[in-house]
Parts: sequence; structure tokens; C-alpha cells
Amino acid sequence: MATQASFKGPVNTVFAAAAIGVGVSLAIVAVALFTRGHAAFNTTSQGPLSWGLPIVTYDYFLLASTGLAFVASLALAFGVRDFYPIARRCVWLALATAAAAVVALTLELGHPLRAFWAIPLSFQYLSPLFWKPFFIAAYGVLLLVVFNRMTRPGWDYAANRGLGVALFVAAVAVALNAGAVFGMMAMRPFWYGPLIPVYFLAESFLSGVAFAMLVTYLAYGLDPKAMPDKARALLTGAMPGIFAAALAVVIAMVGSRAVTGLWSNAEGLQAFDWMVGSPLFHLELWVGLVLPLVLMLRPGSRNQPSMQLAAAVLVLVALFIGRYEFVIGGQVVPLFKGSWVPGFVRYTPSLTEWMLLLLALSVAFAVYAFGEKRFDLSATPGEKR
Amino acid sequence: MAKWGMVIDLDKCTGCQACTTACAMENNRLPGENWQDVLFYHEGKYPSAKLMWFPRPCMHCEHPSCVDVCPTRATYKTEDGLVLIDWNKCIGCKYCMIACPYGVRFYVDERPLVEPDVRGVFPGAGRGMWSPPYRAPNDREDWVHGVGIQPSGVVSKCTFCYHKISKAPKGVADLDEDIPELKEYVPACVRMCPPKARYFGDLDNPASHVNKLIADKRGVRLLDQTGNKPQVYYLSGGAGASVPGSRAAKT
Ligand code: SF4
Ligand code: SF4
Repeated sequence: MATQASFKGPVNTVFAAAAIGVGVSLAIVAVALFTRGHAAFNTTSQGPLSWGLPIVTYDYFLLASTGLAFVASLALAFGVRDFYPIARRCVWLALATAAAAVVALTLELGHPLRAFWAIPLSFQYLSPLFWKPFFIAAYGVLLLVVFNRMTRPGWDYAANRGLGVALFVAAVAVALNAGAVFGMMAMRPFWYGPLIPVYFLAESFLSGVAFAMLVTYLAYGLDPKAMPDKARALLTGAMPGIFAAALAVVIAMVGSRAVTGLWSNAEGLQAFDWMVGSPLFHLELWVGLVLPLVLMLRPGSRNQPSMQLAAAVLVLVALFIGRYEFVIGGQVVPLFKGSWVPGFVRYTPSLTEWMLLLLALSVAFAVYAFGEKRFDLSATPGEKR
Repeated sequence: MAKWGMVIDLDKCTGCQACTTACAMENNRLPGENWQDVLFYHEGKYPSAKLMWFPRPCMHCEHPSCVDVCPTRATYKTEDGLVLIDWNKCIGCKYCMIACPYGVRFYVDERPLVEPDVRGVFPGAGRGMWSPPYRAPNDREDWVHGVGIQPSGVVSKCTFCYHKISKAPKGVADLDEDIPELKEYVPACVRMCPPKARYFGDLDNPASHVNKLIADKRGVRLLDQTGNKPQVYYLSGGAGASVPGSRAAKT
């Protein structure tokens, strides 16, 4: 079995790169916020929209986090022991990506500190954003508790099923809530729909699987021979199958949503023309989703580490494009602005917004690499090494 | 309790923007963030192109989606039927701007340190975004009701001139600038409209002039299918035959 020492190389590199990323991006974002305010995010009324790339980033990382919790839940709540070897790493990465999401949101809000008292004291139970911080807090605490407990000697999912199920339920609540924020908006038909939360759930699971694959390879220096046997067995067994199944479901959802939207007539649904007319959409669908599905289905490539890694990265990029199209698409047809604004708002994320994305990414990887250095993320539940 | 509402007669409106200017002066608004605006549209092609316009304040909806989504209750509905924003509570999440079907909410957070901005010429003393020379007296500032100069990082919108109408004598049916003792309580846009296309009154009072106008001239509401039920009604034509605002009997 591989030893902890052999992982140090890539982890240190990842940590150093992420730390530099945090420093640079945070400095740029801070200077922009100080000298230009949130106008640097394009979100003031002089700008084109209300929610831009920072919210895309926030939702992307939040859903990645819940997706990783779902993957861990396969072991912790549903008792699929095959997933034991990656469960702890997934739980830690779920914490890391959730931290990235919270950082992005904090910098996006006009008054983030005020939110700490103004939201809980409001009891505005009608707003999904009232529930969200409670769900995320409960979810974060459960992640920490599970992370801490699962390496106790003799730990087994069966004896701790309550905890695993609680984590799973909290993750589902966070993902559904994130979808409901958009799905409830009947006045914006591009977003509206009772099934949008379920859509978020499926995309979340897919991003969890892709992230889990990526970091499992990263953790063992991109070298499958360094992996413990059980981890390698998972990556050449159930994992590509589950990856392909999740991809198939998401492709069906993306495709059917695009076709339904293009066909339908309602003010605001012109956003589907905007979406499908962009090369990004085709990059997302064909290169980012269909190609990985083919790779994960073909017997010759599905178990190849390089192919799995490529598929994971492509899917993670595709899901980001998808999140971007979704969040921006609901706002791209302007509301009552008269003839002086174009039919589709012209929005290009600013440098500050891209830096916020870099910041979130760097935070996620810095926290992840910190965990890799500090804790034994490869520990299989119940077996403290 | 009154349920304040507005009636705008589109047959009288000339699109002169006096309402917008009055509102901008009254509430210190800038172009691009006008609480009250007249939107211009064009349709058709030369030689039969048509220019149209549409005056648009906040609708102070009966079922305001902006209130339902606000996680802090910074946006709230008053007993008098107004929808207001408490700037002490708003966290600048902008969900209300997403949820308002009418696009009447405004978020500001410019810091004019580098880029040219008129607000940098008249910097705000402390809490407000800026301090224009024509601004109203400081004692009119009322953050709980979203009145005054907008601070940074929060959302603002039309208050129906809360600072005026809240001082009106209780029980009046209409606030009409032609009634001398009431004219100080009339919203700025209504008071300033040259062809008197705007009316303001109590929608709960069957005898109010606004209610009569809505009934006699068949007032309609913008985008009634959203279910927000605006308290701003538009008059146009007034013929008996008309386009229904919703697909079934009102509930
Ligand atoms: S018009 Fe918009 S901002 Fe005004 S009350 Fe209705 S939903 Fe709220
Ligand atoms: S931006 Fe302010 S008023 Fe609007 S929903 Fe958020 S907290 Fe409420």
C-alpha cells in the first residue's frame, strides 16, 4: 500500500499554486472593491445585470460540494462499501468547495456582515434565501462531524447510518434550495419550473463524481499504481459506470431543456436562442458532456486513467459553462428598459469577476491540499492507519 | 387604513419626463437609476414606424414578489399598501431585483475613486452615496422607509413619496394637487405632471376618484398574469370591449 510520503510532491505543488492564487486574486478583488465598489462586478444598476459571474461561481462550488457529499453518502448513508476508499477525501473536498462558495458569496453581497443578524432575525420563511444559510450551516457542521468520526477505530456506516443519512439529507436540502432560488421565479420563464431543483440535484451529483475522480488521481500523484488496491478497484469498477450514468441523465436534461425552450413562446424565453446560438453551449454539450460519456462507455477508454482524468476535467468545465448560461440566461432579456437597450443585454465578466472565480478555485484547492497534508484523507472508514 | 394606488392615463401622457425629473430632484436619483422613468419603444419600419412611451413607477404590488424573496424583510409591505425598503436591513443580495417583474429596483455601489462619476464631485458626508447641491434637508432622511440619499450596497426604489403621503391627513380619499390643502402631500411625479395624467388615491375607498377612473375607464394593470396585482392602474381608451388582464375570475 502506498504511503503518505509518496503523495507529498503534487500536494505541495497544489498547495503552493493555490496559495499564490489566493494571494493574487484576493489582492486584485480587494483593490477593485475598494476603488470601484461592486460596480467592478457589473451588478449595479449602471451595469447590465444583478447576478453575474460571482453568483455563477458561488452556485458552481456549492453544487460541487453537495455533489461530493452525495458521492460520500453512497458509502456513508447507503452502505456501498466500494466507496469507502474515497469517502473521507470527498467529505473534506466538500468542505473545501463549500468554503470557496461562501467566500465568493461574501464578496458579492453588498453588506455580508449584516446578513448574519438580518437573515436569522427576519423569519421570512417565504424566501428560499432565508432557509439557505441554515441549511448550509447544518450541512457544514455535519460534514465536520462525519469527517472527524469516520476514522474512529471500528467505524462502520451501519452503526452510524443516522449521521450519514443526516448528511445526505442536508446536502439534498442545500442543492434543492439552490435550485428553488431560480425555479420559483415565475416572472423569469427561463428559470421557472418545479423541476429546476431536481435539475440542480442531477448536475450536482455529476460534478461531485467528476471532482472525486480528479482529486483521487491528484492525491496519488496522477499515478494509479500508487493507489491502494481498493481505490484502484473503485476507479476501474463502479466509478466510470456511475460517471457515465450521471452524464447520460444530465445530457438528457440539458438537451430536453434546450429543445423545449427553443420551441416555446414566452417573453424571456428568447434567452434559449441566445444560449444555443453561442459556441459555448456546443462546447459544453458536445465536448464537455457527450465526449466524456463516450469515453466512459467505451471499454477501451473507460478504465484508462488519462481518459478518466480528461473526462473529469471536461465535465467540470462543461458544468461551469452550464451554470453560467443558466444564471445569466435568466437575465439576458432586459426587463422594461425600452428601446434604448439591445434585445439581449451585453455582458462580459470583468477582470475582477474572473479574479473572484480564481479566488474561489484557489480557496477550494488550498483547503483541499491543506487537508491532504494535515489529515489522512485516504483513510478508509474504521481503519485508522 | 388606506391602500394607496396610482392611476396613469396613457391617453393624456405626452412622454415629457416631467415626472422623472420631479422624482430625480425629490429623491436624488441619477439617469439609469430613476425610480420613475418613461420608457420609449418603437415598432414597425419607416415610413410606418411608431414611437410609443410608457411611464413606469414601482407598482407597489398587492402581492409583491420582491417582499416574498427578501431574506431579511428589508423589503416589506406597509399597512397603507406601500412596498418599502429598510436600508438598515438590506444586505444587497439583489434577489428582489431578480424577482420584480417590472424592473423598478436599483442597486448602487460605485466608489468614484478612479472612474469619473458625478457622485465623486459631490461626495456624501458619511452614509449616503453622494450629496448633490439640490438635495432635500437632512432631517428628511429616513432609512427605515428607504427615503433620502441611497447608501451604497443596498437596493432602492420608488416609495410613492412616503415622506409626503405619510403626513397627509388620515382618511382622505385622494391626494390631488388641485386641492390646495393637500398639495404638499402629493407624490412629486403626480404633482408635476403637466397634462395631469397621474392620479393618486385610496384604492380601498369606493368613493375615491382613482377608483372611479379605474371603473369608468377600465383601468388595466401591467403584466397581470404575474399575479403581483399592481396598485398602479393604466387607462387607455376606455372602451367597453377590452383585453382581459387575467384568464379567469379574480380571486
Ligand atoms: S413593482 Fe416590483 S418592486 Fe414594486 S412592489 Fe411590485 S414586485 Fe416589488
Ligand atoms: S437586496 Fe436587500 S431588499 Fe433586496 S432582497 Fe436582498 S436584502 Fe432584500
